Amino acid sequence: MGGNGHGPGSWGASGPMREILVLGGHAFGPRPHDRVVAETLVKMAVRRAARSGAARRPGAARVCLLATASGDPAEQAADFHNALAEQECEASDVSLFRLGRRRIALRDHLLRQDLVYVGGGSMVNLLAIWKAHGVPEILRAAWKRGVVLAGQSAGGMCWFERGITRSWGAPASAAGLGFLPGSLCVHYRGEPERRAAYLAAVGRGMLGGYALDDHAGLVWQGESMLRALSFRQGARAFRVQVRGGEVVETPLAARPVRGELPSLLGEDVAELRRVRRARARAGALRPGR
Amino acid sequence: MARFRGHHDGVEHDRRQIVAFGGGGFSMESGNPLLDDYVLGLCEPPRPRVCFLPTASGDADHYVVRFYRAFPADRCEASHVSLFRREQGPGDLRAHLLSQDLIYVGGGSVLSLLGVWRAHGIDRILADAWRAGVILCGLSAGSLCWFAEAVTGFHGSPRRVEGLGLLPFSNCVHYERRGGRRSAYHEFLRAGMCPGYAAEDGAALHFAGTELHRVVASRSSARGYRVDALGERVVEMQVATAYLGDSAGTVSPLPEAVSTVLAA
Repeated sequence: MGGNGHGPGSWGASGPMREILVLGGHAFGPRPHDRVVAETLVKMAVRRAARSGAARRPGAARVCLLATASGDPAEQAADFHNALAEQECEASDVSLFRLGRRRIALRDHLLRQDLVYVGGGSMVNLLAIWKAHGVPEILRAAWKRGVVLAGQSAGGMCWFERGITRSWGAPASAAGLGFLPGSLCVHYRGEPERRAAYLAAVGRGMLGGYALDDHAGLVWQGESMLRALSFRQGARAFRVQVRGGEVVETPLAARPVRGELPSLLGEDVAELRRVRRARARAGALRPGR
Repeated sequence: MARFRGHHDGVEHDRRQIVAFGGGGFSMESGNPLLDDYVLGLCEPPRPRVCFLPTASGDADHYVVRFYRAFPADRCEASHVSLFRREQGPGDLRAHLLSQDLIYVGGGSVLSLLGVWRAHGIDRILADAWRAGVILCGLSAGSLCWFAEAVTGFHGSPRRVEGLGLLPFSNCVHYERRGGRRSAYHEFLRAGMCPGYAAEDGAALHFAGTELHRVVASRSSARGYRVDALGERVVEMQVATAYLGDSAGTVSPLPEAVSTVLAA
C-alpha cells in the first residue's frame, strides 16, 4: 500500500487525496471498451473506499450517477445500473428533476459516495441547474473529502474552468466549475467542428488545456494532471496550448487500459455475478455456509 | 364571457396575457381538456401556433409525446423546444418563440427551469413575447415561473423562489386545504413575501396585463384565491371562479363575502 500512493501517504498536509477522472466520451454498454471504463470507475471507487478507512464490507464501494446534463432520462440511469450490476459496488442515481417523487438528502447522499459520476449532455444546463440547487458547493466539499469525481463529455468538462459545448447548438466555449485549471474539449477527433472551435478559442486567448477523444481519459490528483488513459486502440489525449503565438496540439503518452478478462469469459463471469446477487437478494444463498 | 383579445382601433392596447394553472391540463387531467381548450380558445387564429417548453421536466420524452397528443395537428400547429438538445431544435429560438400564438410551459422543477432559461436567455425572450401578445400559460412550475415570487414544494419542504417577475405577485400552486404548501405560503407571506394568488388543481388564473382578469376551472369545485398578510394575520379570499364544463358559463356564487381571515 505505502509505495503506490494509495496508502496513508496519500493523506497530504491538506487532507485526503482529491481525484478526478475525466473522459472524452463513452457509453455504459456492452462494448468491451465501454465495459473497461465502467470497471475502471468502480476500481477507483473501491480504492477510495479502502483509503478512506471506512469499515465497509468488500464490494460496498458507493458510486452515484448525476445525469443532470441530459435532463435525467430514465434510460441513462438504466444503462448505468446495468453496466454496474456486474461490478462489486453499490450504485445509485440522483435525479434533480425527480426530487419531488424520490426524496433524498442530496448533500448527505453525495458526501457518502466513493465516486460521483456525471453524465453527458448540455454543459450549460448542467451548470445552471447545479447552481440553482447548490450542487457545486456540495461537490467541492465531496472532492475535498476525497470522494472521486468523474464524468464524460459535459460531465468531464464541467470540472474545468472552461469547456467547448454544443449546448447552444454550434460548438462554443462555456464556463465550468473551475475545480481544475484550464480548459477541456471532448469527442475531440470524432467531432471536427468542436475541435476547430476549441483551437480557435484557445487561439483567441481562452485558457489552454486538454482534448480527449472518445474512450480517452485523464486522471487528476488535486489540481495536477497525473496521467492520460486510453480505453480503446487509437483513443488519444492531447495537450492544447499557445506556444510562440501559435496553438499547439501535442499528443500525450496514454496508459492503455484494457479488460482483464477475455470478453467471452467476462460475459460468463458477469452472468455468474448477476445470478449470485439475485440469489443473495432473495435470501436463497448464504455465502460462507 | 367574450374572449379577451387586443383591440385594433389604432390605440396601443395591452395585449399581454398569462394563464397560470394551479395544476391541470393534459399533464394532470387526462380526459379533461377544459383548461387546454380554454387557452387554445384565447388564440385568435383558427389554427394557432402552440409551442411547448418541457424544460422543468428535463425535456422528458414521454411528456413531449403527451403534449403532441393533446395538441393535435387538426387543432393547432404544435412544436416544442428542447433546451437539452439545442443542436437538433430550431436555430433561432427568439424568432421561433416570438412567432407563436401560445407558449405552454410544463411542470417539474421550477428551480431547474429558471436556471436553464436564464442560461439560454429564454427569460428575456419570454418577456418580449408576452409584451408582443404571445399568450403564456403553464401549470405548476409553468405557473410559478411568471410571478415575482413563488412557493415551490418540489424539492421536499416548501421554499421561496424568485420567478421571472412578469406578474408582480406571489403564487402558490396545488393549493389544497390539507397540503403543506398552503401553510408554508402563509408563513412566507407573514415573513414579507409580496401578496399574491393561489390556485387549486383544476383552477387557472387568467391575467390581462398584470391584472387578474378571471379565474376559470376544469373542475366544478376548484377555486382560485387572493392571499395577503395583514401583519401577523393572513387574509385568504376566494375569487369567483367560472367552471368551464358548464356551457352556461356559471360563475361560482361566492364574491368577496367568502374572505377568510386566518389566525396567525
